[in-house]
Amino acid sequence: MGLVARHLEASGVSTVIMGCAKDIVEHCGVPRFVWSDFPLGNSAGRPFDPASQALTLELALRLLESAPAARTTVASPLRWPAEGWKRRYLDAGKLSPEEIAERRREFDVVKAVAKAKREGA
Amino acid sequence: MSGGAAAGSPGPRIEFAPADDVPIRYMDRTREYYEALGFAPYRWAHFTDAPFTPLPMPLARARVALITTAAPFQPGAGDQGPRAPYNASAKFYQVYSAQVDSKPDLRISHVGYDRANTVPEDLDAYVPLRRLQAAAAAGRIGALTPRFHGAPTNRSHRVTMETDAPELLRRCREDGVDAAVLVPS
Repeated sequence: MGLVARHLEASGVSTVIMGCAKDIVEHCGVPRFVWSDFPLGNSAGRPFDPASQALTLELALRLLESAPAARTTVASPLRWPAEGWKRRYLDAGKLSPEEIAERRREFDVVKAVAKAKREGA
Repeated sequence: MSGGAAAGSPGPRIEFAPADDVPIRYMDRTREYYEALGFAPYRWAHFTDAPFTPLPMPLARARVALITTAAPFQPGAGDQGPRAPYNASAKFYQVYSAQVDSKPDLRISHVGYDRANTVPEDLDAYVPLRRLQAAAAAGRIGALTPRFHGAPTNRSHRVTMETDAPELLRRCREDGVDAAVLVPS
């Protein structure tokens, strides 16, 4: 999505990204970014929390209006309601050799399916 | 919350946040995970500068587009429900557009969201369509364009930069867009 934002922006369209993966978006280098410190999949606010979603969008709209320069990130003040979630994401250290082998097989299948779908597109 | 640290002098204890409560380093975490599985590291897009186009009019007069990585539900493409495992069959590899007032059925089983910590049962948490419609109704933005656009999640940076991004720009121009809100899922 960062690459799309860059392309639009370079062509005269002002852009803002709403997202959760701060390092990945900032590594790409984008014009404006609203970062929510939430699990991936909640870029637009907390689920079933319309007020948090409205606030997150409002931060994005304010960035469109007022970012002083490219690569401006605004961190949402909202917190994810559960504790400990940051330790649970993609933790390979907790996997047994059998689980690693199984995940590897699963990912090989995913890659093959995606490739077939891509080439058929 | 624990994690407060004495500053080494008498006086009130300073209650800092826990030292590990920082942004997740997704690139490191992903690299370590796939290395443990035996796969070559992915190279993320990286630039040290970025283009910048100030919004040329007040937001209340601007036409705004929504761009999402969510996918329309595809009958026959396997489990796309909120607890579905990663489903590559549900991916899409061409830009799509759909009407914003069509109540689209959009799913994210085709991307690597955080399945350990969240369940995508509320579309509004990853596609801010209703919030944008509300912003337009309230006059906060000039207009939401009649259609939104879907950006493929292609591993190839070249395809994204040379095919998908130009196509999204073309559609935005067709719609007279001044600003775009991009929301990866």
